[in-house]
Amino acid sequence: MTDSGASACPAVEFHDVTVAYGRRPVLWNIDLVIKAPGLFGILGPNGAGKSTLLKAALGLVPLVGGRVTLFGRPLAEVRSRIGYVPQRETVDWDFPVNVMDVVLMGTYARLGWWRRPGAAERDRARAALERVGLVDLAGRQIGRLSGGQQQRVFLARALAQDAELYFLDEPLAGVDVRSQERIFRVLDDLRREGRLVVVVHHDLRTAADWFDGAALVDMRLVAAGPTAAVLTPENLRRTYAGHIDVLDELGRAVERGGRTA
Amino acid sequence: MTIDTAASMWGEFSAMHAWAIATAAVVAAGCALVGTLLVVRRMSLLGDAISHAVLPGIAVAVLAGGRPGGLLVLVGAVAAALVTVLLVQVLRREGGLADDAGTGVVFTTLFALGVVIITAAASRIDLDPGCILYGILELVPFDTVRVAGWEMPRAFLTGATVLMIVAAGLAATWKEQLFTAFDIDAARAVGLPVAAVTGGLLAATALVTVASFEAVGAILVVAMLVVPAATAELLVRRLHVMALVAMLLGVVAAVFGYLAAWRFDTSAAGMIAVVLGLEYVVAAIVAPEDGVVARVAARLALGWRVTCEDTLALLWRADEAGAGVAPQPFRSPGEWAAGLWLAASGRIAREAGRWGLTAIGRAEAETVVRSHRLWEAWLGRHADLPLDHLHPPAEWIEHHLGADLRRRIEADVGAEESDPHGRSIPREP
Amino acid sequence: MNSLAAIPYNTLVVAVAVAVVGFASGVVGCFGVLRRRALAGDAAAHATLAGVVAAFVVTGRRDLPTLLVGAFVAAMASLGCLVVIRRFTRTRDDAATALVLSVSFGIGIVLLSGLSARGIPGAGGLEQFLLGHTAALTATDAITLAVVSAAVVLVVWAGLKEATLVSFDPAFAAATGWPVAVIDYALVALVAAMVVVGLPAAGAVLVTALVVIPPVAARQWTDRVPTMLILAGVIGLVAAVGGVAASAAVPRLATGPTIVLVASGLFAVSFFCAPERGWFARRRGV
Repeated sequence: MTDSGASACPAVEFHDVTVAYGRRPVLWNIDLVIKAPGLFGILGPNGAGKSTLLKAALGLVPLVGGRVTLFGRPLAEVRSRIGYVPQRETVDWDFPVNVMDVVLMGTYARLGWWRRPGAAERDRARAALERVGLVDLAGRQIGRLSGGQQQRVFLARALAQDAELYFLDEPLAGVDVRSQERIFRVLDDLRREGRLVVVVHHDLRTAADWFDGAALVDMRLVAAGPTAAVLTPENLRRTYAGHIDVLDELGRAVERGGRTA
Repeated sequence: MTIDTAASMWGEFSAMHAWAIATAAVVAAGCALVGTLLVVRRMSLLGDAISHAVLPGIAVAVLAGGRPGGLLVLVGAVAAALVTVLLVQVLRREGGLADDAGTGVVFTTLFALGVVIITAAASRIDLDPGCILYGILELVPFDTVRVAGWEMPRAFLTGATVLMIVAAGLAATWKEQLFTAFDIDAARAVGLPVAAVTGGLLAATALVTVASFEAVGAILVVAMLVVPAATAELLVRRLHVMALVAMLLGVVAAVFGYLAAWRFDTSAAGMIAVVLGLEYVVAAIVAPEDGVVARVAARLALGWRVTCEDTLALLWRADEAGAGVAPQPFRSPGEWAAGLWLAASGRIAREAGRWGLTAIGRAEAETVVRSHRLWEAWLGRHADLPLDHLHPPAEWIEHHLGADLRRRIEADVGAEESDPHGRSIPREP
Repeated sequence: MNSLAAIPYNTLVVAVAVAVVGFASGVVGCFGVLRRRALAGDAAAHATLAGVVAAFVVTGRRDLPTLLVGAFVAAMASLGCLVVIRRFTRTRDDAATALVLSVSFGIGIVLLSGLSARGIPGAGGLEQFLLGHTAALTATDAITLAVVSAAVVLVVWAGLKEATLVSFDPAFAAATGWPVAVIDYALVALVAAMVVVGLPAAGAVLVTALVVIPPVAARQWTDRVPTMLILAGVIGLVAAVGGVAASAAVPRLATGPTIVLVASGLFAVSFFCAPERGWFARRRGV
């Protein structure tokens, strides 16, 4: 199913992307190219707009400027090739669905309107659950899982999408060590299968070991490239020491339609 | 008393109407005051729930011999309100029910219970299901009491007393109410009795609700609680100002709603709710910061400023590029209008067959170009952007940088006298 | 009107229709509750009164379908107001719901009261839409209600997969290309439709209980969406039929409150006795 033509274009390309909530910009002029295959980390402090960057790629937040292309095409044409793992806190874990129900949701896009998942979809979901080691818990209500297991359910759902490009939003937040290793083994397999995995991540200590490439983001793109070249002390200082006070003030002026002091 | 007879009570304007208006005004003021805190604390729907749920409390109190508007009925209503809140909390803690679902279950159940009690005991209770829903403000003046030689409607006395009690109670604890409303966790952390503060607010809600019951009924009292506060919130920012504005809006709606109902021969309570709704719509349109008018005006003003500044900057750059370049500054009607204004205000002038900057225009243009190039320099230093991507963001941001931030950026990008494209950055005029 | 109760055919038809309405309300209400928007339907419900009266004023007819079309238009308009308020003002969602609910009800009362004051023939009975009055239903009306309810249930069942996905994880649904806003509005419109259909039975003030209480009760018994839908439907059915029967047996007992109390009773049983989630089970478990 992998399209060899895809290699000609970068899998992900942000072209001068600016994103605003309301009218206040939260991400400024992002220019970023990510090539497949690989494991790519988006790093930065809290509130830096890392998740917003993913959402911009997935069309979940409106862009006030610039554009995103995936495999050289607009998002709408390539949606079926993209998998997504949202942040764990965004859903109600008391919702009356079990593990299998959630993983099957990964097959819905391909089923289209009205059709129900059949035996083929169930097989795919079960295979995905096997990869994350949760096949025994298929019938359990999702609220009765640990945080790490819940995160693996989300990963399994993305695997069931059988995509070429994966976006994961903080997949390791609040996850036990065992789940963490399991998740990274799966992501590593995906890379070896020739896919691109883009991960929003908050832990700099583990980033150097796991990611081939990385981007440092703090309301604007500070640096991007091979992980070792990006995670220099100078870049980290520029990311975490912050120049966002300038962007913050400006954002408020833009929101008002006025000027800063 | 059915809705037909209620409507036929209208006659010539008289002291009766004045008393009815006064009653509506005091209950509206009390509701608006309490409602302000409910709205900012996101407890509007709890107010809705309490206003429905006091019904069984009232019904039982009346069955036990209480008079509408009397002390026993007030106690019954407050008790029912507290039962509502407790039940919602129990459902959340013990059953894991979301607040909206729990509220929906509790208040519909209690209201239904109240209706059933009243209809089942109709022969012994002087309460009408219609009156419960929309009140009969028009009849309020006919049930009077004599206080210190004054003959006044019982509902007015109750409403005024409750208003005074609630206003005094909230005024005395305003600091605590404000702190709890703003940040309940911090309030708890510094040792405020948060439960008592919230409990007091809920008791106040029950009191104003039951005092309004006879006049406007269970559902329209929700309008009196929530709508003035929501309207005031659009108009002003500070909580105590918001409370005063809300009370004023409530009183205004009570007066004009009553008069409009008299004029059009219909339900006064319903009309008060409609006037409250109109007040909200007007506020949403004319509110100083977020109103529709203010937003459109701000957008137009920004567009105008951008066009003027772009025109000035265009002429400045043409000068910088040297002679022989004749810029085409006015290509659209908007740019023509801006050009006329700039010429009229002495910023540009026509000289030797082409447009040029005057001294004032030059200074303003330099500020714009300076902002533009400083921003390119800042981006070049702090953001990972290719050189040819610096211009579009600067074209946008040049209109939003102020003098203070320009100086800070200049200090930050260092002594560089030129932008990343190698062009010099004009000094601050 | 009580003479109608003497005709077994009519009573039977009304009972069956109310059962179908109760079932459909329970089913449709599930997604409102799961989406944490249980009370948005209440705003629509209170607005229906204005729609009923306005439909009578505009058309001069008082047959049930005409009045209910008016009610549905008003319900959708009130939900539209909620969307506009959320989009263009700072007003919080809960305040907006309370605002739309109470002001639209005020409009309804103003219209209803103004109509009665003018002594327009035929207007008096419109008051029955406040608290519900099934005895006035004709067999034809009842069949209409049942057919609409059944259609609503079929739509929900057909879109079960989509509705579940959007209710559980709207971000994932949007990222995988589903039109989340469209599905959301469709679900809200279905709730509005059921509120309108439930109006003759439960009345504007309490009809929201039909789309809230049965789903909340059903949730206590199961951890699966399809089971929850069926259970909520059954609970709604039992409440509706029980309420109608009780109000028919006891004079002067309005139908709406009675239906609500039966539903509340079923909720109480579910809250205490359900396995796993029930109060007793939790007490024993911990």
